[in-house]
Amino acid sequence: MFENRNSKAPRTEDEVLVAKDLRKSYGQREALKGLSFSLKAGRILGFLGPNGAGKTTAIRILTTILEPDAGHFVVNGITSDNPVELRRKIGVLPESLGFHKQMTGLECLIFFGRLYGRSAAQAKAAGMALLEEVGLDQRSKSLIGTYSRGMRQRLGIARTLVNDPSVLFLDEPTLGLDPRGQKELLELIERIARERNVGVVLCSHDLPEVESVCDDVVIMNLGQIVASGPVAEVIGHGQSRKGGVMQKSGMRIQVSPDSVVQAQKALEMVPGIVQVTAGSEMGGWLRVEMRDSADGQQNQIKNKMLEALIRANISVLSFEAEGSRLQDVFLQLTEK
Amino acid sequence: MSDKQDLNYTRVEPPPVSARKRSSRAAPAWWVVFTSELNQLWMGGKAPILLFIFCALQGVLTYLMVSNTSDPTPPKEMLYVTLENAIAFGLLIGLIIGADSISGERERLTLESLLLTPTSRRQIVAGKFLAGFSPWPAALAVTLPLLIVVAQGDEALGPAMLWSTIMGTLMASSFTALGMVISSWSNSNKTSLLVSLVMYVVFYIPTQLPSGGQAGRYGRFLKRINPMESNGHFLEKVLVNNRGLAEFWPWLASPVILAVIVYVLLFIYPAPELNLDVQEMGMFRWFGKRDKDMS
Repeated sequence: MFENRNSKAPRTEDEVLVAKDLRKSYGQREALKGLSFSLKAGRILGFLGPNGAGKTTAIRILTTILEPDAGHFVVNGITSDNPVELRRKIGVLPESLGFHKQMTGLECLIFFGRLYGRSAAQAKAAGMALLEEVGLDQRSKSLIGTYSRGMRQRLGIARTLVNDPSVLFLDEPTLGLDPRGQKELLELIERIARERNVGVVLCSHDLPEVESVCDDVVIMNLGQIVASGPVAEVIGHGQSRKGGVMQKSGMRIQVSPDSVVQAQKALEMVPGIVQVTAGSEMGGWLRVEMRDSADGQQNQIKNKMLEALIRANISVLSFEAEGSRLQDVFLQLTEK
Repeated sequence: MSDKQDLNYTRVEPPPVSARKRSSRAAPAWWVVFTSELNQLWMGGKAPILLFIFCALQGVLTYLMVSNTSDPTPPKEMLYVTLENAIAFGLLIGLIIGADSISGERERLTLESLLLTPTSRRQIVAGKFLAGFSPWPAALAVTLPLLIVVAQGDEALGPAMLWSTIMGTLMASSFTALGMVISSWSNSNKTSLLVSLVMYVVFYIPTQLPSGGQAGRYGRFLKRINPMESNGHFLEKVLVNNRGLAEFWPWLASPVILAVIVYVLLFIYPAPELNLDVQEMGMFRWFGKRDKDMS
């Protein structure tokens, strides 16, 4: 079953963030109903949930913008009773991050460096180092108003590192970026987590992104955690059961859109296939339902499916087990 | 330059930041905020534009007064008018800049980054207040030579320069703080500017009424409690009518009381509670928050 972690386990030394029973209400509505989870150094935690799940409330509490009604959290030994010191340990990239357009990238980092207690010279040196780290050293003296969206996001990440934090909170960091920009930013985030050994909380609606870069995931719905743990474990739990009923085995296959009909006919001829339906979405997707059988026989059926498609000269663009993606688990768990 | 650079990751060790052993040369946070705000106001153009308008208006008014040889205005009255206009416009500048200081940051999405630093809210407000007040010394510097021109050697020049500095500084700082108080409690810049301008009009319009319209007990009471009116009345009596400070110092009460009230309101109350959302600030917690979807 899915684990709703109550975090009753004792805090281990490398846990940089531990949240215990956080609650928050707005009038009659409970936005958070006892959020508890932990994050270890060097790991990236995907923080997921549909709109209204409580993610933004949780992030704002963990970043000391809001106070919880109950519960507490600890960042690297600093409790939530001490928000000023706690802010020294965290770096935050909000979803809507603005910059003063008349500042240069370097001036921005100097400003924040000085607010964290560095002298002007130290802040400048640190700022240059951070800009080099995120690939903006050539544009250090350019006005932020001339930066592209991707550059502003990278500057935002540099800004989160100004105080050498133990935990980073990144809220939709790849929003609005082109695919290459997204890929580069995610690679940067991954390297920062590993090289600096910081814990990263990554909020995103882009589930493939979370699946590719996160080590652990927390899925929230209606103010509480509905699943948490390593990504592979959460996906595995979602694949095996739904409401105690074993799911029929299914595969999702993508072919070129003009080959869908031909592929459907070819697959229907394969022994062990119950049904083949073309997906409603664009892009040549087919859903194939296989007869329930042991794993070994299932694999044989899958091989025969591939053989049938190859014999029919159909290019296979994607071939995956249904429910094998984080998106499938997310939709299943957050169904109202 | 393309932003599609090869992101070969190189970790360059920055100088460490220790909470306990912060650099002894690190400036206090209010100073950092002040210098940054000052840079944005003056390099960004907002303060120079307002000051330019101020200079133009003052210059035109002074010229019109001085060049009117057919029905010349006595020097003392010219001093008073120049001083009154300088203070009226100077505190309007402070009010406008103050009104943008917090709500403008909320709208430009730059407030959150500031609140996420370990800087105390009061220091943030203090830095912004000092920067918001900075156009007044420049306006005063522009006004003093004009006072010399209109005084034409009159002995009232000395007191005029003294009272322009004292009362102008008090009023301009108070109205800057007032603008910031309004801005702290406004989620939108438009609301903040609108309320601030309404407040200004409420104070300013009575100063333009003929003195006969403020006769009687209530008229005199309103004149006393309106800091702009009482300040104007005091300056008129001291500069134009040569009356003594000892006789008219009670008229300084309302500007001083306004200053105390807005400073307390700004630094004691909303400053520590400064938040992204006005509903999360202290007063609204007391009165109960609206049910708001924050997720």
